[in-house]
Amino acid sequence: MRQFKYALVFAGAVMGVPHAVLATPAADTIVVGLSADIDTLDPAEISSRDASNIAEHIFTTLSSISVDGKVTPRLSDSYTVSDDGKSYTYHIPPGHTCSDGEALTAEDVAYSFNRAADPANNFTGNTPGFIFTSIDFKGATAPDPEHVVINVGIKSSMTPGFLTEVFIHCKDSYEKMSLEDASTKPVASGPYKLVSWTPGSEIVLQKWQDPGNFKTIDYRIIPEASTRTAELLTGNVDIITNVSPDQLDAIDNSGVARVEKVQGTRRMYVGFNQSTSFTGKGAEAIRKADVRRALQYAVDVPTICKQLLNFDCERATSLVNPPQGNPDLKPYPYDPEMAGKLLDAAGYPKDANGVRFEITLQAGRGRYLNDANVVLAVGQYLTDIGVKTNVELMDWASVYVPLIRKHEAGPMFFLGSGGGLWSALYDMSDLATVDSGPNYTNWDDPRWFDGWKQIEAAKTPEEERAVINEMLKVFHDDGPWLLMYFQPDFYGVSNRIDWQARRDEVVELFDAKLASK
Amino acid sequence: MWTYIARRLSQTVIVILGVTLISFTALHIGGDPTFLYVSDRATNEEIAQTRVRLGFDKPLYVQYLTFIGKAAQGDLGKSLKFHRPAIDVVADALPATIELTLFSMLIAIVVAIPLGVLAALRRGSATDGSIMILGMLGQSIPSFWLGIMMIMTFGVQLRWLPISGHVPLLEPMFQGDFHTAFANLPSAIYYLIMPSLAVGVYSLSRNARLVRSSMLETLSLDFVRTARAKGLSEYAVVINHALRNAWLPVVTMIGLEFGFLLGGVVVVEIVFSWPGIGRLLFNAINQRDIPLVQACVIVLAGIFVAINLIVDLVYARLDPRVRL
Repeated sequence: MRQFKYALVFAGAVMGVPHAVLATPAADTIVVGLSADIDTLDPAEISSRDASNIAEHIFTTLSSISVDGKVTPRLSDSYTVSDDGKSYTYHIPPGHTCSDGEALTAEDVAYSFNRAADPANNFTGNTPGFIFTSIDFKGATAPDPEHVVINVGIKSSMTPGFLTEVFIHCKDSYEKMSLEDASTKPVASGPYKLVSWTPGSEIVLQKWQDPGNFKTIDYRIIPEASTRTAELLTGNVDIITNVSPDQLDAIDNSGVARVEKVQGTRRMYVGFNQSTSFTGKGAEAIRKADVRRALQYAVDVPTICKQLLNFDCERATSLVNPPQGNPDLKPYPYDPEMAGKLLDAAGYPKDANGVRFEITLQAGRGRYLNDANVVLAVGQYLTDIGVKTNVELMDWASVYVPLIRKHEAGPMFFLGSGGGLWSALYDMSDLATVDSGPNYTNWDDPRWFDGWKQIEAAKTPEEERAVINEMLKVFHDDGPWLLMYFQPDFYGVSNRIDWQARRDEVVELFDAKLASK
Repeated sequence: MWTYIARRLSQTVIVILGVTLISFTALHIGGDPTFLYVSDRATNEEIAQTRVRLGFDKPLYVQYLTFIGKAAQGDLGKSLKFHRPAIDVVADALPATIELTLFSMLIAIVVAIPLGVLAALRRGSATDGSIMILGMLGQSIPSFWLGIMMIMTFGVQLRWLPISGHVPLLEPMFQGDFHTAFANLPSAIYYLIMPSLAVGVYSLSRNARLVRSSMLETLSLDFVRTARAKGLSEYAVVINHALRNAWLPVVTMIGLEFGFLLGGVVVVEIVFSWPGIGRLLFNAINQRDIPLVQACVIVLAGIFVAINLIVDLVYARLDPRVRL
């Protein structure tokens, strides 16, 4: 009888659970479903977009990028640049603190920069691995509590934009921490602090200072796209990232949530690898600008977007995100006849089998939105005009990335490259030199690469803009990319929430609020 | 018996060496993993420095032997992504997977045995046919598909069960916090139901068919007829005599089941956002986090071999004819 009673109590407890576990989030809580796990919250070690989006709420930055791509003040209210353009002095107003009560001053800012750069720490995150490499960071000093001087080796109008990505934290707390603790127990300098982190499951932040409309942000890790959608539709999650194109209609028709579609900043392209290590008629053909230009007309990019990505996109005119691109450039239209005529004129008529030349198009699988199908479609479009295209799809991480990074993918390859809204130069810097890491096409057109010297010599923003426009025209006409699209980003948003998606993959929740009824 | 255990343990070492060698080779076939750990703007010098720091600059056999040498001392290296000892990362994820595996096994055994016995007792009837059709379906349906269908039905439409997530049960127990474990128990079970069914339905179906065929064979033996002739009740004949003897092949299968289920949780852990070792291993392979992959492989192989050993010992205990 006693056991029976226990069994009844236990069954009652189990039956009572659904109300607790299936409840919609509280009014002061916003729940975000992320697709990927994060591995660290050390501000100097963060490299993934998801981790960066969480860190954005925990750590402050000197300034930030607004929705429309402008560098705007955050921790610092102003800055000055030295005459040689290699020293930036930021003013840090007094009164800031970290979540443990420590005052946040210029000394802490300098420490944050120098800690990230310290070779003893062996950091490989976005700050030391990308930002500091891009600006040639030399060091930071704090002459007084309200001023921090950041020294760089390269004069560039991009530097203030790059510096928006460096997370600031307090010195005393981080000096005491082991690297392992710094990775899991962050001390906040931003508006939210970490409450709990269950690896692989959940990260909970709590607001301790302004800005932010929600007291709690609950990030849940939900790797499978259909599971994220299910959680959104049941009201357990308020925002989900990386919605799969095939689930857009289900969300939009649900009546409880909607899809926010934005044209992202990731530039998708088919690269023409110019390396002479590739032999054959096709590899030789794509080293000619005339041939590359002809192939631009062969692919119907808007149709690919509509049919395969469920999105109406505008074809890219260069490697720069609008509105920073050259406004005079127009996207290549889909005109297979023109493609054929140009290839005939370039010396590649069809043979008896209707083939002009044969070429290989390589791609990784599963990294980008519907990538395998996009690549197969491109291959078919090219084959249709007589360029017999052999598509090779391969595992992204183990096979494709090493090939790409050694500049050995090709002769044609499909790839995406992260971009920004705040500077044309940021997007163009993929091709900063012939030897640049991201110049996977081995392109070496002097009209482009000599342009960088002219940019450095430009005295005014207008002069700089004129050079940029000229370089972008060269890229459009004779460049090494078959221009495709800016990858769209799809977010599922509960009708409970008012939130606007941004183009740059930043999921910022400070302005998110409950929707008015 | 102790000699047998010692011999099996020495074989275990060979098995683990084998799987680590295979996984190590497979991870390096694709090329240099260094590129996954540097920015795409890294200079050749930075790439070379990173390669040295991660130890990928050395010949493969040196890398492997260094790893084995350290592993023999209990050091499986640091995860390249988590920057923590790989074994600690695995230890964090392991309890969730054991919970899922044990619960799946429980379902696969507790449901399969009565179904198998019932089908055998009603051989040729509609009940038998239905159970066998369901068994065949259970073995044919891919677990990820079943998982998504259950999510759509019981999570989205009926809203009976949580769609994803995990409430820890074993982890607080391992830490000695039985109060939290007990408090978590009802929620933990709720979160376990769908993923366990998705993982366990294949085994459930196979076990039911196995129990049925084993029972049919046993029920036709002379000692069962003798038991009936002695006037024993049908319950006593079936449960005490027939099932006990039909049990042996099922025990073997159940033992192997644990290893099978352990390997089968990867996809289900992804579908249900279950923070276990399967998902960890999947991500580690994608990110070429070689120390973490090796740690996962060693732990999984160790568990698998240990379970096999236990099954053999239990088998010998159940069947006196078996000599170790």
